[in-house]
Amino acid sequence: MIQIENINFQYAETEEKALDNFGIEIQDGQCVLLCGESGCGKTSAIRLINGLIPHFYEGTLQGSCTVNGLDVFSSPLEQISRFVGTVFQNPRSQFFCVDTTGEIAFAPENLGLEKSEILDRVNKTVQQFHIESLMNRNIFRLSGGEKQKIACASVSALEPDVIVLDEPTSNLDQDGIKMLGNIVQFWKQQGKTIIIAEHRLGWLKHLADRVVCLKKGIIQLDLSGEQFFAQSDQELNLLGLRGTNLKSDYFCYESPGLKCIDKTFLEKQISNREYLFSDFVFGYDRKKIILNMNGLKIPEHSVVAIVGRNGVGKTTFSKCLCGIQKGFYGSVSIGNTKYKGKQLRNLCYMVMQDVNHQLFTDSVEEEISLGLAEVDEKTVDDVLQKLDLTELKKRHPMSLSGGQKQRTAIGSAYLSNRNILIFDEPTSGLDFQRMEKTAKLIQKISQEKTVLIVTHDAELIQKCCTHLLVFV
Amino acid sequence: MELFDVHFQKRGLIFDPRTKLFTMLTIVIFVVGGYGTVPDMLVFFLEILPILLLLTVGKFKKAFLYSIIYGTAQASMLWGIAFLPETVRYIVTLFAVFIIRISPGMIMGAYIFSSTTVSEFMAAMQKMHVPNQISIPLSVMFRFFPTVMEEFESINHAMAMRDIRFGGKNAMKIIEYKLVPLMICSVKIGNELSAAALTRGLNANAKRTNICEIGFHVQDIFLFLIMLVPYAAVIFTKLGVLS
Repeated sequence: MIQIENINFQYAETEEKALDNFGIEIQDGQCVLLCGESGCGKTSAIRLINGLIPHFYEGTLQGSCTVNGLDVFSSPLEQISRFVGTVFQNPRSQFFCVDTTGEIAFAPENLGLEKSEILDRVNKTVQQFHIESLMNRNIFRLSGGEKQKIACASVSALEPDVIVLDEPTSNLDQDGIKMLGNIVQFWKQQGKTIIIAEHRLGWLKHLADRVVCLKKGIIQLDLSGEQFFAQSDQELNLLGLRGTNLKSDYFCYESPGLKCIDKTFLEKQISNREYLFSDFVFGYDRKKIILNMNGLKIPEHSVVAIVGRNGVGKTTFSKCLCGIQKGFYGSVSIGNTKYKGKQLRNLCYMVMQDVNHQLFTDSVEEEISLGLAEVDEKTVDDVLQKLDLTELKKRHPMSLSGGQKQRTAIGSAYLSNRNILIFDEPTSGLDFQRMEKTAKLIQKISQEKTVLIVTHDAELIQKCCTHLLVFV
Repeated sequence: MELFDVHFQKRGLIFDPRTKLFTMLTIVIFVVGGYGTVPDMLVFFLEILPILLLLTVGKFKKAFLYSIIYGTAQASMLWGIAFLPETVRYIVTLFAVFIIRISPGMIMGAYIFSSTTVSEFMAAMQKMHVPNQISIPLSVMFRFFPTVMEEFESINHAMAMRDIRFGGKNAMKIIEYKLVPLMICSVKIGNELSAAALTRGLNANAKRTNICEIGFHVQDIFLFLIMLVPYAAVIFTKLGVLS
């Protein structure tokens, strides 16, 4: 049983409470979903249970937390880790080993168990998770879904009573989510207590026994799974939550190619020009073509959602289109202008999923005008105005929030006159309000530019996309 | 990414990590530090040994590249400098000597990183009774660098898209532009990695089991014996047996 009482917690570097008089009691074998807007305290609640608060993340803390009678605050982390296993959001940074087998054995090794016992556990876990084919592999060469599967397996090998998952689907596609659902189902059958902090809710519909919704560190709702999922999407959206009843036809990957999903697009259309893709073929060697978009036509000012399973070449497509894929010589033309190979850098710009990679300077103003030969202050101000960045123009880009960083990156594309903008998973990890804001921004941008979005987010597609480009 | 790319399915000739470390030590002592104390042929062998080792794990491309670099340096020392005007000769000599002495150690490092798994490394450290406080941070490097290199690649792509290149008055700025995002991402990843390792019970004070089987095989004994030759040569020279 997990007992959390009257927790008040504030991270050392922030000014607001992350958890405000937070208390909850979780029975053994229950599967609890923690949800709420970004920054509502659901991740902090997870960290409380696995002991990272207060042993790793420091701050001011009052209250008490016990897991199976063990006092989390006074017990060292290695003792807590025997009872609580954690699956994290980001597959790239939760591995300690470079090989899959070593990774699954890692936690039992830390406990100092007998060698034969560890090998037994590894074998058992491998069978339970059906990951024979993933053994003895380099983790860096696995797909996101496979990485997450290994992460779950390595937690399972520890045989904890409690398993907590912190936004585990952020980097997964539909297949990956389904796979994770099966794993949670399996853990439920084993009688584990499961706590999941999540913003994508649909996949937990028949898994969560109980749903707790937080806002600003305070519990707002505490319902049974059935009651919670009986609510309509509108009701959920009002709570800042994502819908659970979305039609997800977008992700039936049967018919590849471009199709229009917004019937009003043709009426509203500002121009009838099209971007024509020619020689748009890429493969790492000649025999194996991994991308063929020859003859694709994308209408100007459209918003195209690029969907498909992980690993079918969506990223390669974006890289080719931005002119940064080595060995790619295809071209895109509009009217009489043709952009070939590296020249595509003058046409397209990508807003990366981790936008931290593309902010280099020490103020927003400098950032968006970086790389320009001549800087015209009025133009800069115009762009800042358009993107709601005027008040932030002297701020350091790294001190901004995620959305503001995204807008700064968009600003540099505006100033360098790129006409196609590509967004890589712009709403992964965002709550309803933030997602809606991003959707509105994208719609606004599409009046001047053409937008391509690589995404798994059905709500975003519904809100702002005019076309669907399916990769198979 | 390339540097740390261990192929688990076709690993080639496997040496014990301790053998590799001893080889590294010997190369550092005799190639970087000890010209003139042992016969030239022996030093030459130590210099090309890392390239041979790279071949044993199937890194042909890398081995080829290093042999070209090393070969060029060696050739310019042997034959090239005689034909050069004096001023150029100094510069060329400086570079060539630098490459000949430093690169074998670096190539050996590349070999160790691309042929050793974290578990093997931890097991070797444990067998040598190195305390956890030292071996854990060292083993984190194996994990941390490939991740940081992935980040670095993304940053380079972002810079290419912005058309920021080396050269012109911005040369110094470019370094700053690369380092700032890299450092911010590295700190974030470092934190996430530590948090994940801690929740899985990694702890410097407890005794840890290691399921990884390491041990000395025929190839290890062979390499060890070869590595003993330079030390023996020094001792014999000192004793006056060799002259």
